[in-house]
Formats: sequence, structure tokens, C-alpha cells
Amino acid sequence: MLCALAAIPVLIAVAVRVSSAVPPGRGPAFLDRITQNGLFVGVTAMLVSVPLFLPLTVGVVAGDTVAGEAGMGTLRYLLVAPAGRIRLLLVKYAGAAVFVVVAPLVVALVGAGIGAALFPVGPVTLLSGDRIGAGEAMGRLLLIAGYLTVSLLGLSAIGLFISTLTDVPVGAMAATVVLSVVSQVLDSLPQLQWLHPWLFSHYWLDFGDLLRQPVAWDSFASNALLQGGYLAVFGALAYGRFITKDVLS
Amino acid sequence: MARKWLRWLPAVTVPAVIAGGVLAGSLPASAVDPLPAKTPEQVLQLIAQHREAALSGTLEQSSELGLPELPQAGPGAGSSETAWLELLTGPHTARVYLDGTDKRVQVMDRFAERNAIRHGNELWFYNSKDNTAAHVQLPAGAADRHAATEGTVPTPEELAGKLLAKLDPGTDVSVGPDIEVAGRTAYQLLLTPQSAATLLASVAVYVDGQSGLPLGVELKSRGQSDPAFRTVFTSLKLEAPDASVFAFTPPPGAAVKEIPAPTHQAEGATPPSGKESKDARRSTVTGSGWEAVVELPAGTGESMSGAAALLQQAAVPVPGGRLLSTALVNVLILDDGRVFAGSVPLERLQAAAVPR
Repeated sequence: MLCALAAIPVLIAVAVRVSSAVPPGRGPAFLDRITQNGLFVGVTAMLVSVPLFLPLTVGVVAGDTVAGEAGMGTLRYLLVAPAGRIRLLLVKYAGAAVFVVVAPLVVALVGAGIGAALFPVGPVTLLSGDRIGAGEAMGRLLLIAGYLTVSLLGLSAIGLFISTLTDVPVGAMAATVVLSVVSQVLDSLPQLQWLHPWLFSHYWLDFGDLLRQPVAWDSFASNALLQGGYLAVFGALAYGRFITKDVLS
Repeated sequence: MARKWLRWLPAVTVPAVIAGGVLAGSLPASAVDPLPAKTPEQVLQLIAQHREAALSGTLEQSSELGLPELPQAGPGAGSSETAWLELLTGPHTARVYLDGTDKRVQVMDRFAERNAIRHGNELWFYNSKDNTAAHVQLPAGAADRHAATEGTVPTPEELAGKLLAKLDPGTDVSVGPDIEVAGRTAYQLLLTPQSAATLLASVAVYVDGQSGLPLGVELKSRGQSDPAFRTVFTSLKLEAPDASVFAFTPPPGAAVKEIPAPTHQAEGATPPSGKESKDARRSTVTGSGWEAVVELPAGTGESMSGAAALLQQAAVPVPGGRLLSTALVNVLILDDGRVFAGSVPLERLQAAAVPR
């Protein structure tokens, strides 16, 4: 799955390289900047993968955590070991969290690498029109990857909870991915404006605030708070469900 | 069995705690230390004497004018002619930096930003969406620091200045209950037009209790519960921002347009008044105060920019012409080309159009 994610920046970079110049204002944001600066491949790739690819892979990993073991019939053997259910749940979530850290990082680093290979790298123009050096730009890129990690922690907690509900891993994966899509659809309906700040996908695309000068931290803070809330609620739900569950398989 | 239910306890308490926290946070914070009571005149004086030369803060602006929302993406979006119109539809967030005559306004769009920077006598505009910049060399001595905001959002201070300049005996001025804005306690100056023949129901200006700086402006129109226009600081620091904020050189690759310095004319904070002042030499005003109707002679319609052309699409046909109706301003475009605009109902515009 990490390979599939890594393919996104490679595809973008190669497509821009072999095609003619992209006029500004067309296609995803930053696409036209790639030819001037390879580091933007990473930003563009993250932008492209946020709505679907990243939630998809996170949904697969998080949905598989408990339901995967149950589906294979190995869950009860795991519980025979004197480790306790809480610890198993924590370890399972930690595994999903590690993936959530690595996935955006792979997209960012592969993007920066392939961008550096195919395009010139130099000072980066931020959204505010100011310029920062390539080293600082690399820092911003990692910051965005961190932002996406935080963004996806809530979704992985939801996936963990759904995963404790069922013995069919595919069902848990699909339900998690569908939830992330539903959340984004609801987020785009202006009639439901009162609901928007409560949707876990609401701040997903606000990582552009990290590309301003000075950095606007507001969205990062509200995003972290929101994801922390989702983590607490669905973590508690998963705990309640998993502790009381009759494990038959 | 009881123990099993006990284990669901966290799943119940965590959402309950979060809900409780949200409720507690959303309750209107009772004024921690209430401001000393002041008469409206004293609050006006407080505004007039404030000397806050430096600040940095975040502005939130929302409008419910009844205009159709312009698409933020797609063909035609973000062109310079329609940019100010887009600023009047939907919500916007902007960061404002002020230091003496230096000024920077950053309108933060998703993955884009519009900048207006005044540094010394240089004026820069930068739009990251199409990577274009515009440069104006102001004549030396152009001291008005509020001249640099065209194409971005107005600050509460500018807006309050414009509105308070309109104060006349036909307006009731009162001081409402204290309000908390951006973590500061503020006076609420309420302006209510006495006349029933204006679309404007009331204006609220939030005035910082300590410094007298206007922190927010809210315009309410008749028959609409949501404010028609509202701009307030959500965070504010009354200290000089870093000097590097005002230093701007256009990034390489950006298309830079050199604009000759404007002859002295008031730049409108809100487009309607901007249009009025631009054509002030040729327009006539009937009525006074909040019910004033501005008449633009025939021919102004021909010089319509892209924005005005867009506005015309939103206009509905009425007897004798077309009406562009918003919550705060009505614009009547007659078939013979004359244009009547004012913050009044359609009937008054038509009445103003008849005698000539």
C-alpha cells in the first residue's frame, strides 16, 4: 500500500515532465509550480491524495486491526496470551497510528525526491508571495505530512471501533472508507454549515495554512483538538465494545 | 452483569465530558471585569482619540447579502474584476498587520492568498492563485494608511470610520451591553436609523474598552435575522508586528503589472460606496442620511467592468428597468441607462427616478 501511495507523486512528476507547461489556475493547486520547483511535487501529491487515497489506505489498515484477526480465527489465540485486551487494543491502534505517520511521509518524501530528480530545486515561493530557502521548505513539507498524520488519527480511531464490531475485515474497511467519503460529502453541503466544524474531515484540506508566511497555526490547533476528540470518543467506544465482546473466533 | 455495564462507562463519559466542555465554551462569557459605563458620546470620543498605530490580528468577515455565491474555482473565478465581488459573498478570513503607515492584509483562501502590502510609499498586490503582482508607487507624503485595501477586506477601523462619518441627527446612538471580542472586553455602539425608509436596521460597532480601537462592525438589515455583513477580529495583538512582514518583493515568475499612482480619490471599502465615490463628480444625490439615493447618469453602464456585468446577471426585471436587490443596497438600472442606488426599498428608487 505504501508503494501505491508512493506511485502518486511519481505519476504526477512524470506526467508534468512529459507534458507541456501547465497554465496557472488549472488542475489541482500548485500543479503549475512544479516545473519551477520540484519540491511542489510533494505538496501536490499530498493535496491529491488527501480526499481519497490516504483515507482509503488508512481505512484498510484500521479496519483490519481487530476484525482481521477475528476473520482469520487468530483473535482468540492472541487473547489466550496473558497480555489483556486493553493492551492488545492499544498495540493494534499503535500499529494503525504508525501507518498513519508513515503514509503521508512517504508521499511527501517520494514527491520531494522525484521532484528534485526531474525538476530544478530552489527557494520556494509561499502562498503569501514570500520566499523561503529549500531547507526551510523541506521543513514545511514535513510539517504538512505531520498535519495529515494528525488529520487521519481520528479516522483510524473510527476504523478501530468499527473493526471491533465485526468479524469481517472487508466490511470494517469498507465502512471506514465510506464514512470518510460521507463526511467529505456532508462537508461540501452549505445547508449543513452548523455540522461542518464537527466533521472529522473538515480541516483535512486546510494544510495550505502551513504554506503562508508567517505560518497560520489556527487550523492546525483546531484540527488537533477535533481529532483528539474523535480519538477519545471512538477509543472509548472501541474499549467498551472490545472489553465486553464475546470472542468466538 | 453490572460489571459489564461498568465497562461501557468510558464510552458514555467521554462524549458527555466533550459535550459538557463544548456547552460551557459556547455559553456567552459573562463580562469578567465590566467596563465603566459610558455615554454614546464618550464612546465616540474614545474612538476618535485612539492612537493604536501597530497591531496584528485575524479578521473574520461574513456576508449574507443575498447575492449568489461566486464559484471559488473554475473558469472566471478569481479574476481581478470579480475579486472584490467575491469578497462580498460568503465567509473570509484575513490577517491584518499594521505599523504606522505600513500595512499588510492577507486574505486567506484555500490554497491561495491575496495580499495587499503597503511599505513606505510602495504598494504591492499579490495574488497567489494566478501568481500575479501589481505595483503602485505612491507619491511621497501620501499619509493615509487606509488607502491600501482595495481588493482585500476592509478592517473594522476603516468601516467604522466610514459609518460614523454618516452620523446625523436622524440616527439613534446608544451603547449596548459589553461584548467580548478577540478576548478583549468591548463597548457595543449601536446606531439605529430613525427612518423606516432604509434597508439598514442597525449598525453595531464594537469598540475596545481600553484602547478605543474598533474591533468589529456588524450591519443588520430589515427582515433578516442574520447580520447582513459582519467583520470582527478573532484574535488581536496590539504590538508592532515583525518588520519583515512588510518587506515584499514579487517572486520570480510572477507577472508584475505596474499601475500608475491613483489621483486622489476615496477608495471604497464596500463596493457600492466605492462606485458612488468614483462617479461622485457626475452623480447626483437625493435625500439625505441613510435614505440617500445616488443617481448615476446614463452612460456609466457602458464602462461596466466584468464585475458589474456579473451583477447585471443577478438583477431581476422590474417596471422600467432592472433591479439588483441585496440585503443592504438596492440598485435600479433603468432602461434609459440611468442607475439609481441606495440603501432604500425599490419604491423610493422609483420615486427618485420619476421627476426627471
